[in-house]
Amino acid sequence: MKTRFDLGFWLVLVAIAVIAFPPILGQNAALREKTFTILLAIVMASSLNIIMGYTGYVSFGHVVFYGLGGYMGMYLVDNFAAPLPLAVLAGGIISGALAFLLGKAILRLRGAYFALVTIGINEAVRTFVSNFQPFGAATGIELQFAVYKPYGGPAQALWFVYYSVVGLAIFGVVFSYWLKKSKFGLALMTIREDEDAAEVLGIFTPDAKTWAFVFSAILPGMLGALFFFKNGNVEPSDAFRLGFSIESLVMIMLGGQGTVLGPILGALSYQQLRGALLTSDIVIGAFPLKDFQLVISGVLLLLIVLFIPSGFVGWLRQRIPQLRRVLE
Amino acid sequence: MFKKHFLFTVLTLLMVVSLALAGCAAPAATQAPAAEAPAAEAPAAEAPAAEAPAAAAEKMVTIGFTASLTGKLNVESTRQNNGLNLWMQQVNDAGGVKLADGTVVKFQSKFYDDESNKDRVQELYTKLAIEDNADFLISPYSSGLADAAAVIAEQYGKIMITTGAASEGTYQKGYTLVYQTYTPAGRYLTGSLDLLASLDANVKKIAIVHENDKFSTDVANALEAYATAQGYEIVLREGYDSGTTDFAPIINKIEAAAPEAVLGGGHFADGQQFAKSMSEKSLAVKFISLLVAPPEPTFAEIGDAALGIVGPSQWEPLAAFPADFGPTGAEFVEAYKAAYGEEPSYHGAGGYMAGLILQKAIESAGSLDTEAVKAALDAIDMTTFFGKIKFDVTPESHGLQIGHEMVYVQWQKDSAGALVKQVVWPSAGKTAESLFPIR
Repeated sequence: MKTRFDLGFWLVLVAIAVIAFPPILGQNAALREKTFTILLAIVMASSLNIIMGYTGYVSFGHVVFYGLGGYMGMYLVDNFAAPLPLAVLAGGIISGALAFLLGKAILRLRGAYFALVTIGINEAVRTFVSNFQPFGAATGIELQFAVYKPYGGPAQALWFVYYSVVGLAIFGVVFSYWLKKSKFGLALMTIREDEDAAEVLGIFTPDAKTWAFVFSAILPGMLGALFFFKNGNVEPSDAFRLGFSIESLVMIMLGGQGTVLGPILGALSYQQLRGALLTSDIVIGAFPLKDFQLVISGVLLLLIVLFIPSGFVGWLRQRIPQLRRVLE
Repeated sequence: MFKKHFLFTVLTLLMVVSLALAGCAAPAATQAPAAEAPAAEAPAAEAPAAEAPAAAAEKMVTIGFTASLTGKLNVESTRQNNGLNLWMQQVNDAGGVKLADGTVVKFQSKFYDDESNKDRVQELYTKLAIEDNADFLISPYSSGLADAAAVIAEQYGKIMITTGAASEGTYQKGYTLVYQTYTPAGRYLTGSLDLLASLDANVKKIAIVHENDKFSTDVANALEAYATAQGYEIVLREGYDSGTTDFAPIINKIEAAAPEAVLGGGHFADGQQFAKSMSEKSLAVKFISLLVAPPEPTFAEIGDAALGIVGPSQWEPLAAFPADFGPTGAEFVEAYKAAYGEEPSYHGAGGYMAGLILQKAIESAGSLDTEAVKAALDAIDMTTFFGKIKFDVTPESHGLQIGHEMVYVQWQKDSAGALVKQVVWPSAGKTAESLFPIR
């Protein structure tokens, strides 16, 4: 299994660096917050891309891993004063474990059935957590302000969280690239193209799909722990917000599913658009533009699904064969 | 082929436009005047000459916040905004606030939409603190969002007045710059129980049925503890999921438990539906008290189902507190009606109060310095049209509101048979006798 880190690989890394480093170089906190939201989306979209883009299984309820990881991390920080890296790791592990169990149970389902079941699971976990006392039930978990002290106060803690999410983003895209180039990745893409043919070729598809699901769940779990630590509290309605799942899907569709660069570009442009609309003072007629960001995302998704289902990067690859070596 | 090419061009254009928008959004936002503050740009010349000598410097203070312009909380949030803008207009028209060094302070606001969810709250508050140079902050509407914003407020040493963040937890986390306007969640329904006790001391069996979210659960927990201490028997404690529209199974459960009174609810939509379903099923209870929904004028849309329902309110236009600072209740109601053409609800009054509290603190401090204003806030003990305002200053619950008390309203029928709200508790401020038992 030889992996070639060629031009495409460096392009992906440069993309992340260009996004992630300006706030660090300028030590600009406002820019950092904006970039944090973008990196969060990139990690989420890149992870979801493993099961959706590579394997061809749409997971609508992917936010369940983000929420559960967040809860696990917050639980450890609040009750055992766990250091953040440990909490983040635990968030990843529990999400991976849940994905493994779920994968074993539901990845024998195909197509739309799988997508529907993932929504159901998110709702089920949300309801469970809403009634689970150790996780604070409906009131959630709140961190004391003093929790940021060991990191040098809240200002430093937020930088620490930012560096962590940059680390996750770099790891996420490198892993995504490596996976795509690996033999295992090839097996996943075979499943996507024709699951029956993959089985005939000797791929034990339930196992391969389960592992793809696990890989796509770990980083969202770690991400959740970081995000809610930063916010200082977690509640069921924030942790398992289905809208976040749908937005991740839009980002992948926008950039190009099954590509490494696609989710990055998709997440970047989607979040930029949303942020710009939210804070814009532009008013068209009597309607402030900032009320319409969800409508605009909806129209975008519609256009993409109808006319360029392979997304921006996918379309470029189709139209300009020379780019296929560069755009992964 | 041509068609596909054309569509791709359109799509690419959309993406490019989105990136371009992102690029120019930041400067556009910072330069924008506070469009929603009608008199924020009132010229300095309007300041009465007697108060401000021509040479007096003028400083524009920015109050920053996020509001839930979209999402489930937009009604409450919009009214709160109206209240704040009214205060700002009045204080600016009156010539602003004069500091110890002679500087005249005027106010403007800067806000963004947080869509009632947590994703961008910290991003937007950081932007308000750093890029928009907000001098003071007001919290987002709910406790969860306020918690996230408080981390940023503390970090940049900005004082944050909360409106709508009722849960006590927010003030017990060790923040030092966060101050609460409203009566905390724990005291929302305990007054209902006092009212019930005054009406009929023999009623002892109660059911607590509430929305399963943070705020309502906090209220229910405090109510349960209080009720148990008062010797009530809790025959049913049940949470329902946010967004529940079918209450039939829950009402069956209540019937089976046979309570004499039902207390609970959650927010507006579910509370209204819950009241309606209890009426349709003719649930035989003597007393019903629900959160949030009953004080809203639109609660009466369910007709006779609203009759007799009691609800806690942070403030009512009918309530007449002897104000020692700011306008009287009647003056506020009149000004609000003149500006927005509707009777103010407590959300509108809350927005106005957030501004009034800041004004009082700045006046007492004679400065805009965070430490001085904080000391002034810690020392506040005033009565306004909204009621008493005083903050807890112990390190355990700094900023918690300990002065203000709820009033309790009940929907009754006037002589013409129309549904009207009456204040029924506390007895000192009541405008009518309670309707009891309701069924």
